[in-house]
Amino acid sequence: MSLVAGPGRGGVADDQLPDELKLVIDKHVAYIQSLDSRRNELEYHLTEHLRISGIYWGLTALHLLGRPDVLPREGVIDFVLSCLHENGGFGAAPGHDPHMLYTVSAVQILAMVDGFAELEKKIPDGKTIIAKYIAGLQQPNGTFAGDEWGETDTRFLYGALNALSLLNMLHHQQPEQSPLINVTAATDHIKACHNFDGGFGVMPGAESHSGQIFTCLGALSITGELDSYLGEEGKDRLGAWLSERQLDDSGGLNGRPMKLVDVCYAWWVGTSLAMIDRLHWIDKKKLTAFILRCQDPEQGGVADRPGDMVDVFHTHFAVAGLSLIGYPGVLEVDPAYCMPKHLVDKVLGR
Amino acid sequence: MASHGVPRVSGATSLDKSEQARAKERKQIESYKNLEKDVTDRIRAKDYSNATFQLTSKLLGQNPEYYTIWNYRRVLLQDVFARELKSGNDAITDTSNGGSPDAETAKKAGLTLAQQEISLLIKEDLQFLIPLLKQFPKCYWIWNHRSWLLTTATIHLPAGTAVQFWRGELALIGKMLALDSRNFHGWGYRRTVVNEVERLGGKSMAEQEFEYTTKMINTNLSNFSAWHYRSQLIPRLLSERQAGNDERRKFLDAEFELITQALYTDPYDQSLWFYHQYLMSTLDPANAQSPSVLDPCTNADRLSYLEQELDNVKDMLDGAEDCKYIYQALLDYSRRYIDIEAGNKKVTTMEMRQWLDELRKLDPLREGRWSDLEVKLGL
Repeated sequence: MSLVAGPGRGGVADDQLPDELKLVIDKHVAYIQSLDSRRNELEYHLTEHLRISGIYWGLTALHLLGRPDVLPREGVIDFVLSCLHENGGFGAAPGHDPHMLYTVSAVQILAMVDGFAELEKKIPDGKTIIAKYIAGLQQPNGTFAGDEWGETDTRFLYGALNALSLLNMLHHQQPEQSPLINVTAATDHIKACHNFDGGFGVMPGAESHSGQIFTCLGALSITGELDSYLGEEGKDRLGAWLSERQLDDSGGLNGRPMKLVDVCYAWWVGTSLAMIDRLHWIDKKKLTAFILRCQDPEQGGVADRPGDMVDVFHTHFAVAGLSLIGYPGVLEVDPAYCMPKHLVDKVLGR
Repeated sequence: MASHGVPRVSGATSLDKSEQARAKERKQIESYKNLEKDVTDRIRAKDYSNATFQLTSKLLGQNPEYYTIWNYRRVLLQDVFARELKSGNDAITDTSNGGSPDAETAKKAGLTLAQQEISLLIKEDLQFLIPLLKQFPKCYWIWNHRSWLLTTATIHLPAGTAVQFWRGELALIGKMLALDSRNFHGWGYRRTVVNEVERLGGKSMAEQEFEYTTKMINTNLSNFSAWHYRSQLIPRLLSERQAGNDERRKFLDAEFELITQALYTDPYDQSLWFYHQYLMSTLDPANAQSPSVLDPCTNADRLSYLEQELDNVKDMLDGAEDCKYIYQALLDYSRRYIDIEAGNKKVTTMEMRQWLDELRKLDPLREGRWSDLEVKLGL
């Protein structure tokens, strides 16, 4: 899967009335499908360090658009397994070092294509080996490092809980085994990142940021503590901050006060509002129009803002955002996992 | 999940490239792939030479997002450090009978020869990162490598030398935040650096960091990152000043004065309202994420500040009747006022209903929120 930007630009439909804007589903499917044929572009090679996440973004968008079989299943599984290291971590592409981010993408892809049997066939106990790699990155203060070099970030903590639960390896999922990670320490760390404005930052003391809010709410949601920890007061405070991300002029969302809007915040902000039952605190119609204005209606793909080059990252988050809003023809997304809800339900046995 | 901001090329797209442009791109790809293969082959062959190190510099200059290459670079550096430490250069050399110039310098700095060498290599690598950071200020991996270099300096060098390295970072961060005053990598790194300087130097920097936020706010009132950092420093600052309640009250009043002036300059700026909200939240026992500034903080204190700020914010309406944030603040603070003192006539339901009506007119985007608020307030 290529992460090359373009070829098109979003916003060609600027002169269309909001009611005339439609999601060009077939064009987006064709766009994602064509991405791997762009090896003749330098950027294809310069973005190899994101390859496996690119597959996760493309595949999730395809699933949500109702076209799960567009990417060949076997090819996807072969590629994912070719990124697995002996220590249980995945790199972004074959030969790239293992890292939490790409391990999470790999597990999410395997869950979506129902590929855990193939994993176990190729590597006996594969799921346990992966789970142990993830668990091994937990730090004494509860948070998680991205890899052996030690960078910590609430993104990694969320990723760990996301992947471990998809692997069915959290303690409440297999109570007969001794716990792999300290869930209490992990959620305590999340709570230490909670700010007076209701939001969460990348580490204790850091400014609230929509992306980090998603990771912190996602983590609390996976551990089942979201409602009890925040309460209605906490949800109101956070919901107020999140709803102020929508800007009057464009209807798009930004990530922090006084910053530019970007399509990907349709997901980070939108799903955070959804997780605290306050998605109705923003104008869904205006947000829909903003997202649709960011697509390239001719060649498919979605950009961060109208006028910019499209790419698979923003295409994915645009589709996921539209799913939250209930856009016709887009399947339901799971707010905590950013994957098709029916598949998450199946994997988790809900 | 990924770092945000996927590279975006400008100008011609792949569909309308001339044959000449395509040929040029093919050549670039070939040269990039060759360089990548060269580096990777050398690492697999455990060729930890200076030549390999230089090649990682070249590759990272072309693609600083290539995290595996940063890992290789650290493997190479660790290898040199380990060799230096093993070489027997790990003692302060006795230069009384005339040692080498290197040994003399090391001795002067209170370092062993090995430490001197490690210190130089770290300094060089920090230099290497500066143009990259300026070009790619949002690249996680560059900030990450910088942090690693500093942490490694702390491990191998005496505290006095390590703290100099950390202190040096403040100037760089100052420059980075002058270029983009909201860069959250920059602010996060600043917190890390300050923590380390405080830990190694054994002296708090809360006062000077507080000054820094004042400077940043004076440069650009709308900088919420600076306001946020300020909010984080206040509880520590007051406790280090061993401030009694009078001093704390004076401090809080001065902060209210500062933000009120700012709000008069631009009542439409939500960064400023969030800081006002912060000051008010320090008086709110229901907000567990906000430590109290007053100590003790009684209900009488709470009422007096709520009254003061309700009046203050009402005054702001003059000339800014179309500013939705004013009505939001009035409703929020009124609700808290009623929670403490229901019988008082300071705020009336009629007034609150009017504010809510205004708010709905001015801010239809968040109608769902206002309709929930109506229920919550029982209006």
